[in-house]
Formats: sequence, structure tokens, C-alpha cells
Amino acid sequence: MSRRPESERSDWTDLDLLTRDEAYGRLQEEIGLTVRRLAELGAGDEAERELLDTRLRALREAAEDLNVR
Amino acid sequence: MPLQPWMKLLSTDDHLIEPPRLWTDRLPAKYRDAGPRIVEQARGEGQAPAEVWNYEGRIYPYIGLNAVAGKSPEEFGLEPTRYDEMIPGCYDPKARLRDMDLDGVWGALCFPSFPRFAGTIFLDGQDRRLALLCVQAWNDFVMDEWCATAPGRLIPLVILPLWDVDACAAEIRRTAAKGAKAISFPENPVPLGLPSFHTDHWDPVFTAAEETDMPLCLHFGTSGAAPKTAPEAPFAVTITLFATNSMYAAADLLFSPVLHNHPRLKIGLSEGGIGWIPYLLERADGTWERHRFYQNVNQTVRPSDLFHKHFHGCFIDDRFGVEVRHHIGVDKITWECDYPHSDSYWPKSRAYAAEVLADVPDDEVHKIVELNTRRLYNLDA
Repeated sequence: MSRRPESERSDWTDLDLLTRDEAYGRLQEEIGLTVRRLAELGAGDEAERELLDTRLRALREAAEDLNVR
Repeated sequence: MPLQPWMKLLSTDDHLIEPPRLWTDRLPAKYRDAGPRIVEQARGEGQAPAEVWNYEGRIYPYIGLNAVAGKSPEEFGLEPTRYDEMIPGCYDPKARLRDMDLDGVWGALCFPSFPRFAGTIFLDGQDRRLALLCVQAWNDFVMDEWCATAPGRLIPLVILPLWDVDACAAEIRRTAAKGAKAISFPENPVPLGLPSFHTDHWDPVFTAAEETDMPLCLHFGTSGAAPKTAPEAPFAVTITLFATNSMYAAADLLFSPVLHNHPRLKIGLSEGGIGWIPYLLERADGTWERHRFYQNVNQTVRPSDLFHKHFHGCFIDDRFGVEVRHHIGVDKITWECDYPHSDSYWPKSRAYAAEVLADVPDDEVHKIVELNTRRLYNLDA
């Protein structure tokens, strides 16, 4: 069996984890985008508005949780 | 919009970070100290101690990939970290589901982190009995806790005790009976000090995989050998070339006896992208046409026919692969998210998939994002 030291093993050195800060930033960006899309909706877009409102609430909750440790 | 709201995105390549008590909660009392457990390690003045894995006294200085929580992408490196620096969706299945909902993703197949993507960390084990219990504990955690949180959404993938081929076969059958759907296996066992695909060593594993109809998922990097051109070459070279590991694995298997001896074996190439597949198959067929006569390779079946029968691939953002999908085979393409790695598009994976697949007919999109995965991994609708 291989006995090479850890530093020379590599199957996860490919990618880094999404950090809390990066995840929070992405959520903020998505929140901004969703708010803009909501503002662009017209009076006849109630179904779309409901979907976006639900998404906006979920995004804000997730961002709030990440912002509090 | 080809990606319709009713299509359920199923990711064939995501990852989980093992919670701190995964092994201490499951190992017999006499093994708890030697088995993997989280210990604290000083990180310098003013910093909270790092949380690292201790396994048989060896310290593994990372709890999730080369986790870099709190740092900018430019600063990532092999540094220890803490659970409270990670997003909870890494290790908490309920938080994972919420993140999947935000992302518009229905289902996810999750590879390990501390055990490495194919469980090869346990090859390090000095105590083979403990190592086997550790493998079984990870598999039981995945099936009884992680995936049990949302059956049908979190898809159980298992790892194997790779030092003992009969134990591997037994673990495949044990976990299949508990509902496992896929097996993580090294893309090439040789760099790990294990026999190659060109021997009959792994036949009991392949037979068990056939009998249980579970795909072997070869995640790139699981050989432990990353593409590297020079010690001083920037990591960008390695990242750019990662998919070549999947090319190596495909070529290796296509010219091995494995697929001829195991006609029902399914092989998933995890995280390797798909755009390279048509080139490799053309090259492999050309090689077979010209050079098969004087080599110990199968003389009757073209490599591309074998590939189309046995393999499937996946992609996150391989636009060229999507463009040449008919050369690959639409039935052989699955979608992946790669959460919680930073190259995932979370929380807009669904929107991004819709963009990448915008020019693909609806029925093909449905196959790629959902139906192929259901068929290959035996997932009920």
C-alpha cells in the first residue's frame, strides 16, 4: 500500500469549499437580482410574483443565518 | 425555456463533510480513540484552534477538502479550519436540503471528504479491523442518517475497504440490501499501491456491482495522482488538466478485460466533464483499428461501442460538451452541481443549467438533468 505523506496525496486538492463569506455574498447578489426582477413585474404577473416573493424570503433567511455565528 | 419547472435536477456529483461524531458515535468503544475523531490544534495567537481529524494518532489537517472558509478564493490552500467556519449545508443534511431548495436542485449524490472521494484514507489504517469498521460506519452514516433525512433526494453512495477485495464485494452486497445506489471507486488503483484494471484482482467487486446494478463512480483525483507538469508550475495547470484523469480512466478500462468480462458493469466518470469524450473515442477507435493485432486487447469490440454501453459522464458547465452531445450520446450525460465546492453555481445552479441547456430540445434536457440519472442509478420517480 502507498505510504506517501499526506501532502503528496491529491484527490481533494482540486477544489476549495464555498466559504461562509462567499456564500453570503452570493446570496446577497441573488437577493438583489430577485428584488430587481420583482420590480420589473407587471400587474398581470401574480403567479411569478408569488414565486419570486417566496424565493426572496428563503434567500433572506439563508443570508441572515450565515451572517450570524 | 427547455429546462421546464417540472424537471427535477439530480446532481451526480456533490460532496458532504463528515460531522465530528460520525465515527465516535458508531465505532465499538475499544476503537473510539483510534478511529477518526476531531481534535483541536492551535492556529496561532488570536485565532480559534483548528479542528482536525486524528486517525490512529495521525493528524489529517483538514476537515473538508482543502477548506478555506473565511478566505477569499485567491488565498485558498491546504489549511485547517473549523466547522463553525463552514456553511452548515456541508455537514448538516437538513441545511443541505434547504440549500438544494434555494438552488433549484432536487437530488444529490454526495462523495466523502475526510475519507477522500473513494474512501482511500482507510488504506492508511494500521488496524485493518478498525479500517473496515470505519468504512462501514461511513456507509451507515450516509444511509441511516444523511440520506434518511430525505429519501429520494439524498442519494446513497458508498465506499469500500479497498485493501480486501472479498470484503469489498461483501460491503457492496451489504449496502445494496440497505438501499445504496452507487459505489465510489478509484479512477486508477495503481498509484494507490493496488492492482490495476488489467488484472483479475477486482473481478469480485465488478461482479457484485453488476449483481446489485450499482454504477462504479470514478471521481477524478481518486487515484491520488493529479496532473502535474512541473514542481514550479502554477496550480492552474493542474486544474486545467483535471479532466485528463477521467480520460486516463476511460482509456484504461476500454483497453482492459474489465468491460468484456463484466457486460453489465456501469461506470460513471464523476466531475470529469464531457467535451473530451468524442475526441478520446475517435482516438481509441483509431488506435484499436491500427494497433490491436499485436497487443493483448480485445479483437472484436470497438472501444467506442464499449464506451457507449458502459460509461456515463457529467458536467457542470461544459458548453462544448453540450454542443457535441450527440457524439457522446444524450443517454450517457448527467448533470452535476458540485455543491459545496466553490466552483458550483449555488444558489443559482438551476438558472445556470437553464442557460447552458437553452438550445437543447426539452426531451434531451429532461434526460440530461433527471431521467438518465434515474435510469443509471435506479432512482424511482
